[in-house]
This record gives sequence, structure tokens and C-alpha cells, in this order.
Amino acid sequence: MSTPGPDRPVALTLGHVSKAFGAVQALHDVSVECHEGEIHALVGENGSGKSTLLGIASGFLAPDEGFVEIGGTRLKRPSPARARRLGLGMAYQDYSHILDLTVAENLYLALPPRERPPHRRLEHWAAETVAEFDLGIPVSTPMGSLSLSERQLLEVVKALLTRPKVLLLDEPTTALGPEAVGKLQTLVLERARAGDAIIYVSHRLPEVLSVADRVTVLRDGVGQGTFDAAAVSEEQLIALMIGRPLDVAFPVRPAPAEEADVLLAVSGLRGERFGPIDLALRKGEILGLAGAEGNGQLQFLRALAGIERATGGATCDGRELDIRSPLGPLRAGVVLLSGDRRGEALFPVLSVRANATVQVLRRLARLGVVGHRRERRAIGDLARRLRVRMASPEQPVQSLSGGNQQKVSLMRPFLRGDVKVILAEEPTQGVDVGARFDIYEALRMKTQEGTAAVVKSSDPIELAGLCDRVVVMSRGRIVEEIPGHELGERRIVEAIVGSRSAVASSQRSST
Amino acid sequence: MRRGWLPLALMTGLIVALGAYTQAHHSEFLGKLNLNGLLLEAMPLLIVSLGQVCALLVGGFDVSVAALMTICVVTASFTLTPTISGIALIPGALALVGVGLATGAFNAFLIRVLKLPSIVATLGTLSVLEGASLALRAYPTGPINTDVTNVLDSSVSFVPYAFIGVVVLALAADFWLYRTRGGLALRAVGLDATSSRRLGMSAGRIIFLAFVACSVLASIAGFYLAAEVQVGSPIIGNQALESIAAAVLGGASLAGGKGSFVGALLAAFFLTEIDNVLPLFQQPTEYADMTIGILILLALVLYQAPELITRIRNARRRPAPLPATTGEARTG
Repeated sequence: MSTPGPDRPVALTLGHVSKAFGAVQALHDVSVECHEGEIHALVGENGSGKSTLLGIASGFLAPDEGFVEIGGTRLKRPSPARARRLGLGMAYQDYSHILDLTVAENLYLALPPRERPPHRRLEHWAAETVAEFDLGIPVSTPMGSLSLSERQLLEVVKALLTRPKVLLLDEPTTALGPEAVGKLQTLVLERARAGDAIIYVSHRLPEVLSVADRVTVLRDGVGQGTFDAAAVSEEQLIALMIGRPLDVAFPVRPAPAEEADVLLAVSGLRGERFGPIDLALRKGEILGLAGAEGNGQLQFLRALAGIERATGGATCDGRELDIRSPLGPLRAGVVLLSGDRRGEALFPVLSVRANATVQVLRRLARLGVVGHRRERRAIGDLARRLRVRMASPEQPVQSLSGGNQQKVSLMRPFLRGDVKVILAEEPTQGVDVGARFDIYEALRMKTQEGTAAVVKSSDPIELAGLCDRVVVMSRGRIVEEIPGHELGERRIVEAIVGSRSAVASSQRSST
Repeated sequence: MRRGWLPLALMTGLIVALGAYTQAHHSEFLGKLNLNGLLLEAMPLLIVSLGQVCALLVGGFDVSVAALMTICVVTASFTLTPTISGIALIPGALALVGVGLATGAFNAFLIRVLKLPSIVATLGTLSVLEGASLALRAYPTGPINTDVTNVLDSSVSFVPYAFIGVVVLALAADFWLYRTRGGLALRAVGLDATSSRRLGMSAGRIIFLAFVACSVLASIAGFYLAAEVQVGSPIIGNQALESIAAAVLGGASLAGGKGSFVGALLAAFFLTEIDNVLPLFQQPTEYADMTIGILILLALVLYQAPELITRIRNARRRPAPLPATTGEARTG
């Protein structure tokens, strides 16, 4: 571990940075300083503002308040090009590759224009570069044909090619195996020894603590302090990361019925970003899907809905589930509540009535004609039960609040009657506190009718309060299963950050 | 141009096949006179198709090109009148290019600054230009200087100099696109604007320049249209869809980032050849439109075939396994 004295000059300053997206305050008065030669870790839960902070540091996002200084120079107008010229390199969590171009062309574009070799030497230069980083990757293949871990390593290589004085790494190891993680960390330590300032964002605490000099903790967009990595323990960090005040009540969890039938059984399911996954979901159960963003939870859920391509088997109520297209799961009664309400789940300009009944029109129609009165009768009672706040069922759904929009998409499984499994993706994202309880209750209500639900959420409090059981995913696999009686925010966060205590306790519970 | 050989080969094959078939039935087809006429007739579409490739490369369309060519013809009937001669013609010619530059900047402004989808933005421009043409010349009138049109049409043997010019231009443009950093940057922005921005490229400037280049080329195409009609006709340009068809048949991707100037040139020539040949067989020209439509559909399917095949092959194969998650990384 390098030891940057506080006497070394500051290479990156983020001063009193604030940023809001709409009504959500993503960052509130956050300050971070990174010295030359320092590896500065940034940790926090999902949605705590880490990526926003990096976006601002790299010039991609404009802060509402506060400033960015790179190598002592103020970044006046935010622009990635300008930040790069000041000596900043960034490896993006979702990469900056152009998948249709070759590896060589991608590397070439990452170089500052003045340092690019003549174009005719492109392949030759790229092959040398790849060899220099000890990666056996053919440079003339399209980037899109590489594996995710190769793409992730190249993303870091691209950031290093600019020979940055400040290097930002946003979750650089989510797709890497242990060996590659080791390789990457060696590289990072080398750069720090050479005097670069490095901001390292990762949700894996042991990984972070093994390389970082200092750690800054974010919680809900607010800085919780900066600490010497050697002087702080994982437990202390976790305690700083969690502890959001509990602002919402949860429906009562019914007594666990171990003997209930298995409704959804998944075996050996795998896709591009997850797998293999085995899972059994019982009748009446709400299963939580936890993990740091980008570890395959979303893709797994969508594969079950037939949207994401996957191989392997799944059965619903004893029958084989056809997941080659969304039609198979829909017919079998497996419905997805998409987290993208505007884009996928709802027709924003259509009325509440039309949105609620779209999947059951056949049943409501007489001789092929759908009577609006029949539709309204069908949804009226349900709208009251789910406490949908609207002036009229003819109101366009986009004029409702986020929470009431979510309730409208929840009306669909209730109307269908033959739903077996609800796959909910961030069911309360962008939903105000008041409406959240209604949504939790609706989910609980529906599962007590003999269905089951899988809830993918980035909020550990929500998972702990709502679910009967939570599985934690990392790098596309289920790494831990937390039974109902152990559930709690801290327990889930520990599992997500891969803390030693969590590993120990899971070993205890498995023996 | 790794995978780009298919459109080039297909277009060349079609041009030769149609030419050979026609020659077998009408021996005057390959005569110098007819070939010269064919090449001159092709010039406007050839040039504007090169422009259209620029717009397609950045993931856009420009449907205003035909209206722009029309207003260039109309402008020529004012600025390149038969009474002007010699050096005095140069400002008149520059006026046409100026109209192209202004239109391109306007389109680019609508697309980049006002963030309109290119098809909507250029559709608006199209209406404005059409109206302006009709306001300037309510009916075809105003002869255009024959000194100018003679220069434009001058040929060596049966080949117009201008044709040699566009061939060289297209070859150079393809070389630039696939063998230089500027071309690489253009393709990168067309393929993925977000990643390009992250890499510090000024995507906005590149898109802006692409639309300006498209319009400037369209205004140059306007010169050749003027040479063809020789009079200020307000309703002459109709190459908007044909130019998009030529670019696509030539291998340009509708999603941006892929395309070939030479391919567009070949396809534009082929489309003109169809128009030229049908009357020889006493076929109505409506068939030309239908043929072109069917060809575009067939070509799009054919060009996607390699991708379709890999997709089907991949679907059969199991996805690659992810790296194992073990305790090592967590306790490291």
C-alpha cells in the first residue's frame, strides 16, 4: 500500500457539490479531495450518489452547486473533453466502448488526439498496447464480440491510455473473476505509486479496503466523512452506509408456511449477464432479489419474463415455462412489473381505464367490442382497494403521480385473475412514501391469494421489510440466501458488500 | 470496409447484368451517345447520394435535398442568366453553394440545437424550400446560361469530366472514412454518440458538419440538375427518396456509422440505368419506381443476412459462462 503524505499536492478536488435530478436530491454538499499517489475509495449503497459524483468529476454532468478542480485548474464549463485535457481519465461502469468498431479502433479513439499514431499503424500499435497490459485479446475483432470481463479490462486500459493524473474507476470489477481482479488491482497500485490520484468506486468492501489509502462514505447523497483505510473497519463503514431513517410501514408478514407448494422452479438458468441460477419460489411467498446494481439481477428477472435471452429451465406450477419470448410467461401467468413505467409498463397518454384493462380486453369484450362501462365497472372496485388516487378513470395515466401510476400497472395482475407469479422491478422507485405502503400491501394481498412474487429492489430497507426471504446476487450468481428471521437492512448490506462478517455468518448458518 | 463488399458486388453485378441484357436487345444502348447521355442524366443523383451518405453516417436522414436542388435550379435562373458571361458568372455560381451552406446550417441547427429528429427537421426545411421555389418562379421560366451548362456537361470521349470527378471524390471519401482518424471519428459518433462523448469527441460538431456537407453536395447536384433542365423550374427536384435508396442500396446503415460512398455511387448509377432502360423496352416508367422499391427491400434483407445468421447461430449456442464468484475476491 502506498502512503501518500498529506503534504502531496491535491490532484482532484470536488468542492461542496450538489446535484438534483427533478425532485430527487442525488448529492448534497459533498466534498472530496484526492492527493497525488492516493487511492481514494468511494463507498455507499445503491443510489447513494457515487456514480453521480463521478459523472460530475468527469465533466459528463453539470453540478447544480459546487466546483471541480483537476490538477489545480477549475473545470469551468463541464465537458468530458475538457476534463480529459486537464488530465482526467475515467473507466465507466457501463463502459465507453463502441461495440461495432474493432478493439484496435476503440483503443485508438481513447488516445488524446495529439498522441495518436498515424492511422495506418493502428493495428500494430494496438497489438503492442494490448501486449503491454498483458492481455491476450486479438485487436482486429469487434469489441462487441468480446466477453464482458474482457470489455471491462479494456475499459480500464482505455482510461489508462490517456496517462491521466487523475483516474476515476466506477465499479471496475463487476464482471471480473478473482484473477482479473488481482491483475487490475496490481495495475492500480502501480499507477498510484507513479503518483496518479485514483478514485476507486466499488461496493465490495474487502476489495476496496485492500487497496485504498482513504475511504469516503456516501449515504443518500450526503458525505459521511473520509477515513484512513487502515484505521477503519468494515463494520464501521457499513454502519455509516446504512441507517437511513425508516419512513414507511410494511404490511404484516404472515407466518412462514414451509410446506406450501413450489410455484416457480428455476434450474440452471443462465444468460449473458447472469447464471447459472437455481431457485424455488413457494406459493404465497415474496422473494427479494438484492445486490449491487449491475450484477445481473435485472437480467435474471427479465429472462424469467421472456425478455432477456437465456438458456436453462424454469417451471411454473409444474409446467415448463417457455421463456423464448414474453408471450410464454404471460400465458403461463408470470407477469413483469417493469421498472421503466413510462417506457415499458404503461401507455402514458392513455387513460387509467385503458391501461388497467389492456391485458383482459378479450374477457371484457362482447362480440369484439369493448364497452367502456364494463371496463369501468371492472376496475372501479379494484381502484378503491389499491387506493389509486385519481379524478376519473378516463384521466391519462401520465397525469397521475409515480406511485399511482405504479398502482395502475399493479391493477393488471389483479384483473387477470390467473396470475401465478409477479416479477416486480423496483416497484417503489420514484414513489412517494404514502403510496409505497399501498404498493407493498397490494403485493402482499395478491400473494396471499396463492400467487408469489419476486421483488428486485436496490433498497435494502424495502427488501427487509417486505420480503419473506432475500437472495443476494453478485457477478450474476446467487451468493447468499437470507432467511426471513435474519432479515434486516444491515444483514442485506453486509451480504452485498461481501463483508467478512456476512461470509462468516452465512457459513455459520449453512453448517 | 470489412463486411462492406456485399453491396458493392451486388450493385456492380446488377449494373453489368442490366447493361448486358439491354445491349443484347438494343445495340444502341452501349453507343457513345447513349452512354454519355446516361452518365449526364445520372450526375444529380450521383452527387446528392454522396451527400445523403454523410447524413446517414451520423444516423440521420435528409429529405430536404431534392427541394434544395430545386431552389438551386431556380436560383441559377436568376444568377446565371444568359446575359452574364466570363468572370461575372462566379458570384452567381457561389450563390448556389451559398444556398446549400445556409440550408445545411439551418438543418444542422434544427437537429443539434433544437434536438429535432432529422427526418422531421428536414421535412420542415423541404416545405419551406419548395414554397420558396414556387414563390420565386411560379412556372418553369428563366433560361440558364449555356456557357455554364456546357462546361458542366463537357466530356472526354463519352465520359463527362464531372463523372470522373465524383468517382475520384467517392473513392477518396471511402478511403478517408475507413483509413483515417477523421473518418474513424465520424463512424464512432454515428455508431454510438454517448460513448463518443465520453471519449472526449465533439459529437455535436461532427453531426453538424455531416448535415452541412450533405446540403453542400446537394447544391452541387443542383448545378447538374440546372444543366439538365436549362430553365428555372420550381418543381424539378425529386431525388430525395432516390438518394436515400441509393445510399442504403450502397450499404449505408439506417442506424448510422456504416456506409460506403462508392457503394452509393454504384447504386445511384444503377437506379438511373433502370430509368434509362425502361423506355427502350417500351415499359412505362411507373415500373421503375416499383422495381426500385422491391430492390430496396430485397437489399435490406440481404445485407442483414450475415447478422441474422450469426444471431441464429448464437441463439443455438449457450451464452458464455461468467467468471466464477468465489470467496477469494471477497476476502482478498
